[in-house]
Amino acid sequence: MEQAPPDLERQWQPAPLEPLGHPDAELQAAVDEEAEVSRDEGPGDGTMTENNFGLKKIEISVSEAEKRTGRNAMNMQETYTAYLIETRSVEHTDGQSVLTDSLWRRYSEFELLRNYLLVYYPHIVVPPLPEKRAEFVWHKLSADNMDPDFVERRRIGLENFLLRVASHPILCRDKIFYLFLTQEGNWKETVNETGFQLKADSRLKALNATFRVKNPDKRFTELKHYSDELQSVISHLLRVRARVADRLYGVYKVHGNYGRVFSEWSAIEKEMGDGLQSAGHHMDVYASSIDDILEDEEHYADQLKEYLFYAEALRAVCRKHELMQYDLEMAAQDLASKKQQCEELATGTVRTFSLKGMTTKLFGQETPEQREARIKVLEEQINEGEQQLKSKNLEGREFVKNAWADIERFKEQKNHDLKEALISYAVMQISMCKKGIQVWTNAKECFSKM
Amino acid sequence: MSGGPPRGLPSTGPHSLLDMPHPLAGSSSEEAVGGDSTPSPDLLMARSFGDKDLILPNGGTPAGTSSPASSSSLLNRLQLDDDIDGETRDLFVTVDDPKKHVCTMETYITYRITTKSTRVEFDLPEYSVRRRYQDFDWLRNKLEESQPTHLIPPLPEKFVVKGVVDRFSEEFVETRRKALDKFLKRITDHPVLSFNEHFNIFLTAKDLNAYKKQGMALLSRVGESVKHVTGGYKLRSRPLEFAAIGDYLDTFALKLGTIDRIAQRIIKEEIEYLVELREHGPVYSTWSALEGELAEPLEGVSACIGHCSTALEELTDDMTEDFLPVLREYILYSDSMKGVLKKRDQVQAEYEAKLEAVALRKEDRPKVPADVEKCQDRMECFNADLKADMERWQSSKRQDFRQLLMGMADKNIQYYEKCLMAWESIIPLLQEKPEAK
Repeated sequence: MEQAPPDLERQWQPAPLEPLGHPDAELQAAVDEEAEVSRDEGPGDGTMTENNFGLKKIEISVSEAEKRTGRNAMNMQETYTAYLIETRSVEHTDGQSVLTDSLWRRYSEFELLRNYLLVYYPHIVVPPLPEKRAEFVWHKLSADNMDPDFVERRRIGLENFLLRVASHPILCRDKIFYLFLTQEGNWKETVNETGFQLKADSRLKALNATFRVKNPDKRFTELKHYSDELQSVISHLLRVRARVADRLYGVYKVHGNYGRVFSEWSAIEKEMGDGLQSAGHHMDVYASSIDDILEDEEHYADQLKEYLFYAEALRAVCRKHELMQYDLEMAAQDLASKKQQCEELATGTVRTFSLKGMTTKLFGQETPEQREARIKVLEEQINEGEQQLKSKNLEGREFVKNAWADIERFKEQKNHDLKEALISYAVMQISMCKKGIQVWTNAKECFSKM
Repeated sequence: MSGGPPRGLPSTGPHSLLDMPHPLAGSSSEEAVGGDSTPSPDLLMARSFGDKDLILPNGGTPAGTSSPASSSSLLNRLQLDDDIDGETRDLFVTVDDPKKHVCTMETYITYRITTKSTRVEFDLPEYSVRRRYQDFDWLRNKLEESQPTHLIPPLPEKFVVKGVVDRFSEEFVETRRKALDKFLKRITDHPVLSFNEHFNIFLTAKDLNAYKKQGMALLSRVGESVKHVTGGYKLRSRPLEFAAIGDYLDTFALKLGTIDRIAQRIIKEEIEYLVELREHGPVYSTWSALEGELAEPLEGVSACIGHCSTALEELTDDMTEDFLPVLREYILYSDSMKGVLKKRDQVQAEYEAKLEAVALRKEDRPKVPADVEKCQDRMECFNADLKADMERWQSSKRQDFRQLLMGMADKNIQYYEKCLMAWESIIPLLQEKPEAK
């Protein structure tokens, strides 16, 4: 692999934002002027959080969800859910928040935003969206996208997504993101005008690179392996957890039958009657307590799911590195082969196969002028190639540096968030145990009075 | 209970024991030890039941001392000494020490029966014999034959049809032992049954089989006479109070059956929950192996779930071994009681038929013939015995179910307490900051 000449320090910049007219100049200036970016620890729990956006602190919330009907691209009627996004700016002086923007977005627009961010920030572990369809459900939950519980959990997930983006030191400054929050109409067109779809790497290309790359950075290889394993283990965990929830539901609900039979039995008893009857009531309480318990657990499952999807984002960054590395290797290889061709032409030895060489053999030797012309073309190509290789090398190194910085940030966030999730899970279990003790103690009290 | 007919009951309980010579008298009277296997010189009343046992009227106090009266505040302690009749106890029976016997033809289990008594009906103050299930079965049959007017306690089921149950597993044997112990204690508590000569032989005979072969030699008068009722008479209507008992028993058995099904279903669901839990915990371990800072917290969660799994297994085992069998016993009990009710109907029917026959004969005699009088006697005795037994049964049923259901609540509380402890202990581990390590 060719070594590039000494590095030029060049700041990695996102793809240039399309200039859009009057309000943006102000924003651009504001963004450029900003010296510091506040680093949030990451919301993780869907509550409002602050961040420095431009010069003001803002709060973002996805406060409502509404069912809508409309016409889709094929002019067919469809039903979808729209989500209300409210942005508030917080005045430093009195801490009051003022509603600055509110608009409605549907899930597909969130997807569009994310796809845009993926293309323009390939070195960033881009926060994931909540799942499109309900998966890992246990039997009670509906897998229907219109189910109110699902919609509610999705609302929280979308808010979480926006908060994650808003608190990311780099992503929060993105123009399109800002417009997503502030410009209801025409936003889709604006995004599409950036032409980001064209800049996207094809999946095929990425896969190809994965198999053929020779010298990827070992850290990325390890990271990719980790993200695969993480995805696998969290999927497994979510599946088992869903089955556990299902079984637990069964255990609790069957106890409800005691309520009825104790009541019936108490009717034929004299002294035992009261105790039985009241114990039966507690069995009913026990049986119905599982609904809230499992509802709470769903939030824990959602926290796990976020990191399941984050694993995919991690993998995307690794793949980008592989792609860039592969590109670099291909370019170097191409350059080397051209140089060799050039050398052979100059010295007259033929070691490599070339079409020209073939045709020369078939149709006769070329003239010295023809050969000179060819050498000249090659030399130009070699020059160009060397420039390209140099810049590719630089790009590659920049990418690795910046990506790794974000990956470190991500690791901190992940460890913090998952620990919090585990704690909240333990707290839920403790609460469930305490409730169980309470109910059975009450029942025992009733039995003792039989 | 001291010797002699219990107060207030005009029953013709067997007095014949005093007249009959002890079948084995003179041969081995100096030996206190019976049984066919290991001699047990130590005849101290062994604690044959653990602290999970049901309340038994004949509490495990040594012979001679009276059981203290209980107060309801002691109900938490499962070893409650409750003296139903308020009299000094003079008979204590315990079943323990199961042993496996392997013979050419068969393999079976025997249990040690230890008896301590100051009653005159017993030659010695203490006995220890070995009996197997079929001996208990024989005893029960004999009691039904000889005391048809009384409610005979149930035996645990002979066979366990459901599932593949190992007859020789520790759990099965222990469950059976408890039930057999309960069976004998119920008889011991009964003012009439406890004096039955078959019962006495069962407790004391060195060679029960020899005695069994002697056949029907010891039928009591009432037993004999009732046996001759062929059942050809049809009762017009049950008296109200017995009809009420019949209705009660019908509903009672129904409700118990439902509770049994619910309890079984709960255990089944809990076992399926356990299966999933056993897969759940290890996934956290697998995850832990991938991580750095999160490795310990995740491993901790895995261990926690493991503890909860173990606690759950203990709960399901307890419920299977201690709760279900007692329910089933009571269902058997009420079935056999219904049988006794029917027999009573028979006796009444015979009496009424004979009375009617006399009335139809239109004889001038004001005096009722002797055999009709005998019928009336029989009926009145039966009614009295049955009523008394029902009252007694109701009272101990109440005790038994109070204990049983409190026990069920207790087991669940213990399960949750174990889980709570596990989860609470892991919180500090989860909250630990990496720098602190």
